[in-house]
Amino acid sequence: MNQDLEQSFVKQLKENQNIIHKICRLYTSGEDAHKDLFQEITIQLWKAFPKFRGDSKFTTWAYRVALNTAITLYRKSTRSISTMEFDNTKHFIKQEDYNYEEEEQLKLMYQAVYQLNDIEKALIFMYLEDKDYEEISETLGISEVNARVKMNRIKGKLRKILNP
Amino acid sequence: MEELDLLKKDWKKNENSFRQVSENEIYKMIHRNSSSVVKWIMIIGIIEFLFWIGINLISNSDDYFKNLNAGNILLYMKIFGYVNSAIIIFFIYQFYKNYVVISTTDSTRTLMKNILKTRKTVNTYVWYNLIVVFLSFVTGILLAYFCNPEIAPMRDKIEHGGTAMALGFIGGSLFILAILITLVWLFYKLLYGFLMRKLQRNYQELKKIDL
Repeated sequence: MNQDLEQSFVKQLKENQNIIHKICRLYTSGEDAHKDLFQEITIQLWKAFPKFRGDSKFTTWAYRVALNTAITLYRKSTRSISTMEFDNTKHFIKQEDYNYEEEEQLKLMYQAVYQLNDIEKALIFMYLEDKDYEEISETLGISEVNARVKMNRIKGKLRKILNP
Repeated sequence: MEELDLLKKDWKKNENSFRQVSENEIYKMIHRNSSSVVKWIMIIGIIEFLFWIGINLISNSDDYFKNLNAGNILLYMKIFGYVNSAIIIFFIYQFYKNYVVISTTDSTRTLMKNILKTRKTVNTYVWYNLIVVFLSFVTGILLAYFCNPEIAPMRDKIEHGGTAMALGFIGGSLFILAILITLVWLFYKLLYGFLMRKLQRNYQELKKIDL
């Protein structure tokens, strides 16, 4: 029975692993840290899996556990910014639609996002993932109104970082 | 905000650009040990409980007290011993209760609150023990001073030495105690500062949003 559970977990995680990758990308810099956080999130998901009853979608549930791990349980500080991640953004631009101005802007944008604190990153992450404010407020445990207010402040903060 | 839309577009476009982890790798991962903050808080918490229980057991000095002419005080100390055990069991129960509540499926804020609560239980436990150590130390000195026949000659000396000598004796004892407590406090600041800094900072950040 335990084996069935394990099999079902591994299968679902493999299919949805990009969620975790995206969080790792936002919260770590460098390949080793990415792997490290990916592993910790996987362990936490597995530990919480017996309680996952399928009344919500696997992805919704995984978002929450993964974000909680990155913000709360993961010990290493995420504040340091290395030059690595700036370069990271380069290979995300595909050759066919290469646009110098756009690329510069994106690079600045990623840099600005990396400068945000852990909580602000979580909000931006859910914004990028098209989560509505209801889900954002439930995941973080803050009110919907305050989540909105905070989101607007973060947008302002990003704008300021981009146009000092 | 135009830039943010651009970012979103890029974010979506690169959704599938990550090196995919195989099923085999995931199997291996779930059999590895977690290195999460909660796990370390749990381990250190248990060590603390064991440490102070150990100290309590070692400092069991019934034989010594039997030689004192302390009368009723012995009975009080025995009663205190039982009360102390009950209090420690209560702390362990609280610690366990708080620990099992911690769940990554809660909201971020609840999760953090529960972790901090677990930590607070252990902190209170440590402070309780420090106070007990302080009181035992003072009682010990007073008992030794007034009730231990072997110390009587020294007592004579102090009493004839006047207030200065007595103050010196009390001051010296308190000084040693203060150094001990400061060392313990520093140790905790370092140990938990290291573990909890990030968590505390993020918790404050969330609280600030929801004021």
